[in-house]
Amino acid sequence: MHVRFKETSLKDPLFMVGSGLAVIFVAISLLGPLLAPFDPWDMSFAPISPPSETHYLGVNDGGQDIFSELLYAVRNTVLFGFISAFAALGIGVILGASAGWFGGFVDMIVMRIADVLLAVPAIMILIFAAALFRPTPLTLALILAGFMWPTISKGIRAQTLSLRESLHIRAAVQMGGGGVYIVRRHLIPEMFPLYLIGLAAKAKTAMFMEASLGFLGLLDPSRKSLGRMINYALNFYYMDVWWNWLMPPILCLSFLIVSVTFLAISLEKVLDPRLRAALSGRTP
Amino acid sequence: MIRLSKYRPSRQMGLVVTFCLAALAMVYLSYALPRLLPGDFVTAMYGSSQVTLSEAQEAELRAYYTNDRGFGSYVIQLACLDWGYSYAFLSPVSHLFLAALPWTLLLVGLAHLISLGVGFFAGVEVAWRRSGILERTMVSGMTLLEGVPEISTGVLLLLIFSLHLGWFPSAGAETAYADLSIWARLAGVAYHLVLPLATLVLAYLPGNFLLTRNSMVMVIKARYMTTARAKGLPPCRIRYAHGARNALLPLVTRFGLRLAFMITGALVVERIYAYPGLGTLLFNAIQARDLPVIQGVVLISSLMVLAVILALEFVYKIIDPRIDHARAF
Repeated sequence: MHVRFKETSLKDPLFMVGSGLAVIFVAISLLGPLLAPFDPWDMSFAPISPPSETHYLGVNDGGQDIFSELLYAVRNTVLFGFISAFAALGIGVILGASAGWFGGFVDMIVMRIADVLLAVPAIMILIFAAALFRPTPLTLALILAGFMWPTISKGIRAQTLSLRESLHIRAAVQMGGGGVYIVRRHLIPEMFPLYLIGLAAKAKTAMFMEASLGFLGLLDPSRKSLGRMINYALNFYYMDVWWNWLMPPILCLSFLIVSVTFLAISLEKVLDPRLRAALSGRTP
Repeated sequence: MIRLSKYRPSRQMGLVVTFCLAALAMVYLSYALPRLLPGDFVTAMYGSSQVTLSEAQEAELRAYYTNDRGFGSYVIQLACLDWGYSYAFLSPVSHLFLAALPWTLLLVGLAHLISLGVGFFAGVEVAWRRSGILERTMVSGMTLLEGVPEISTGVLLLLIFSLHLGWFPSAGAETAYADLSIWARLAGVAYHLVLPLATLVLAYLPGNFLLTRNSMVMVIKARYMTTARAKGLPPCRIRYAHGARNALLPLVTRFGLRLAFMITGALVVERIYAYPGLGTLLFNAIQARDLPVIQGVVLISSLMVLAVILALEFVYKIIDPRIDHARAF
């Protein structure tokens, strides 16, 4: 698979906006603790005070600085999304490539499991696990990954089936390469561009899930999360504090998810020329 | 030599068996996981109290409160709608569930119907009239909307239309404590439904629209479309009977793939508008740590989603008879 990245992606406004936002959010996540003016767990400020010189977004009902909270929340959501997406990608690529290459029994088992996992609502399992065992966010991210790999592995499997017939793979087989060797050294590196789409699409789902779990009150209450902030702020939505307390986490979450959605769509266009013609809005 | 392939079950039959096994696995998890937790009602009740229980008394109390009768009777209880008793709402779980279910079905079902219908027709029409300003604005707008999560649209609509303009109610599903005629009551239900429904439609519509448009753009270039045109068929018939029917298939396939993940949004939207469906019930149960309700809602609604997706597999076959051959292993 060959991708002419410079000619295609860099001219695409979706890609530019998406990656621009992504860079900002990654910077916030990395630098968050340095940028935050206060400790987000410090409860010593006057509760529900409006924005001021010292508190850029005011103080919440618990006497915590909202701006510092927001920086930590973005960091947690981004981290959750990345961990879950990377884990799903790893499982999906290995299982998809194996299913496509080995075929037969392996293929049937993997694809049947994938069908079932796609039909089970992941949020319900996460709620159940979170309500019973109160696991760490890392565990929840990994459980979520266990439900997200099937779509990736279906795409990888289809691509593997078409790559099987290509000349260089046949040459590798002729030279005596075994199945594991071919999957590991040829198939998995070859399909790299597909991983970026998968990563962006899964990061979107995972960040939305994290926000929803936080919103429903299933994450550790002391852990800063965008969903948790929205949930708390929503209790006071009728007061005059919604624009400095409720809106910032809402906007952050929206821009975060818009960013990964744009990246996923624009990468899909680059990798599928047929789709590019369809998506750009011009008849070729 | 016996020809095994002759006896190979069709994909549909295989899926039915796999889904039944998955359902059984979920019922088993729902039975077994709570039993892994340390402590039970007896330790919770008497653990920190002044009373000191002897071994025999403790065993007696435990036998009285935890009627642990094995997996078989658990399944039978499930089938008999005996899903346990809620600690927080002091009512059988099945009553709570069945009271909330119609509202969720109304909200989510209607949202899916509207967004599938509107997304499909808009997608087909926009793909037919390509390269116009309409297409570009629609596609960009829908792409942007695709990225905005339900939490954000829900809260924004609530702030604008309920808090600032005051056009729509901010909570509930019907006017409380009002003695109304049947038509006034239905109007009240529709009035309360507007905002949550709009939020869900805004969340589901972009995906359906973009998918239909993209597949329709491919379909339009197919040769059978040229043939249909050459036969002199009316444009409407070409568009829908020949074109859109083929663009419908990916929409239905993707619907099955996305349904399980779209449940999340419905939960969140119900909580935002305090709509008395399963999402709000689940939210309240989580706040109160009411385990029997959480367990019941999680298990039964997952089984329902599983059943819907299995049913969709049979719908594909009706829409496109080729699929049975193409997707067989």
